[in-house]
Amino acid sequence: MTVNIEIIGVEPACYRCKETKENAEKAAAKLRSEGIDVTIDKLNVMAKSTMDRFGVVRTPALVVNGSIKIMGKVPDPGVIERIVRKEL
Amino acid sequence: METRRVIRSAVMLGFIIAITGLMAWSIISKLNLMPTATAEDLKALPLWQIPLHYIWDYAQHGWLCLGFAFIMSGLFQEFIPQDIMLKYMGSGDWRAYLFATLLAPVFCVCSCTMVPIFGGLVYAGSGIGPALTFLLVAPANNLLADIITVQVLGWPIALADMAAGAVSAIAIGYIVSKTPWGKAFEDKFKGSGRASADVDLYVEPFDDRLWNAFRFGAQMMKQILPSFLIGLVLVSYFQAFFPEDIVRNLMTGPRGVLVAALLGGPLYTPTLIEVVLGKALMDLGMSPAATVAWLMGQPYDIPNSLSASKVVGWKIVLTYGFLAFIAAVLSGLVYGVLTGGF
Repeated sequence: MTVNIEIIGVEPACYRCKETKENAEKAAAKLRSEGIDVTIDKLNVMAKSTMDRFGVVRTPALVVNGSIKIMGKVPDPGVIERIVRKEL
Repeated sequence: METRRVIRSAVMLGFIIAITGLMAWSIISKLNLMPTATAEDLKALPLWQIPLHYIWDYAQHGWLCLGFAFIMSGLFQEFIPQDIMLKYMGSGDWRAYLFATLLAPVFCVCSCTMVPIFGGLVYAGSGIGPALTFLLVAPANNLLADIITVQVLGWPIALADMAAGAVSAIAIGYIVSKTPWGKAFEDKFKGSGRASADVDLYVEPFDDRLWNAFRFGAQMMKQILPSFLIGLVLVSYFQAFFPEDIVRNLMTGPRGVLVAALLGGPLYTPTLIEVVLGKALMDLGMSPAATVAWLMGQPYDIPNSLSASKVVGWKIVLTYGFLAFIAAVLSGLVYGVLTGGF
């Protein structure tokens, strides 16, 4: 089972977007060690392709398997882990 | 586990209530929350002591107000139901203007969230008008700035600033959307009607959310305080040595309004410093009417305009910059006429 995490942020990344990405990496490392396959992508909020998919979002946003789970705040690694587990 | 969460929530709520109570008490009993040093006091000190004295003076009076402001912005950031707000702001009719005006202040405490929302509103085809209104209201009337403005410059000027900021942002958004180039720009995105996103927000337990609010406030403080301190150092020297006659001659009367509006915009200062600098100028003799114009200069500062121009192009930025300048002058003049505060 693959869980797909996407982080929507501004380019160049502001520190809150960076922190979100780092926290997602931490959560992913833990989940991968348990054999869960996690991918992480970074999307630019101002890109047309992102706009077309999500419309207006507050950054940073965390998308798991295509739906927005967190908007406008930096989630802890633990929170990201819980969100991913709910998707399994 | 459950009891622990309840206790955590209770402690944090108690702290919030205590700070709010203290703040209310200080307003009711009219405590002075601003530096009290005058130019004479400062001039009497050795050069290196001037900023220290001024900052100490500010810290003594200002900690409560600053702390309150940071906690409030954290709470708003955490507890405002965002998906609903974004939906209405993107609706493209009069509700969009209403929501943009009322919500920008509590929505955008961090500037790096503002331009993306602006871009999002534009690209989503919800109209250049509401998007611009949002972009202009957000920095002028954000919660942090409003609380500080009230404390530093007093209710009459703060209220005038908020009202004028809201009215002119709506007017500017509307006017720009009616210009030929505004319309041409809007047409590019008409009917780009994106599929509405699948938003299924994860809700954390209440105590964790309260804690998030505090953490956000602390982060903001870390981000803002360094530049705020540098600003205070500059303001302290400014207050000590800037010749009073120049301010008194240039920044009073209807001409003072014009000068203040001209200086307030392009001269980029973070809102918090703009407010303190405004106070220093007022102490040196700037009229209340000119102060209103000075504060209104915020939306067309240079960095803000630069990032907006990437989204909408220079023509629209110049149009709204010019209109914002007119609005600043008009608000100053109206304030002066209504209150006699030239």
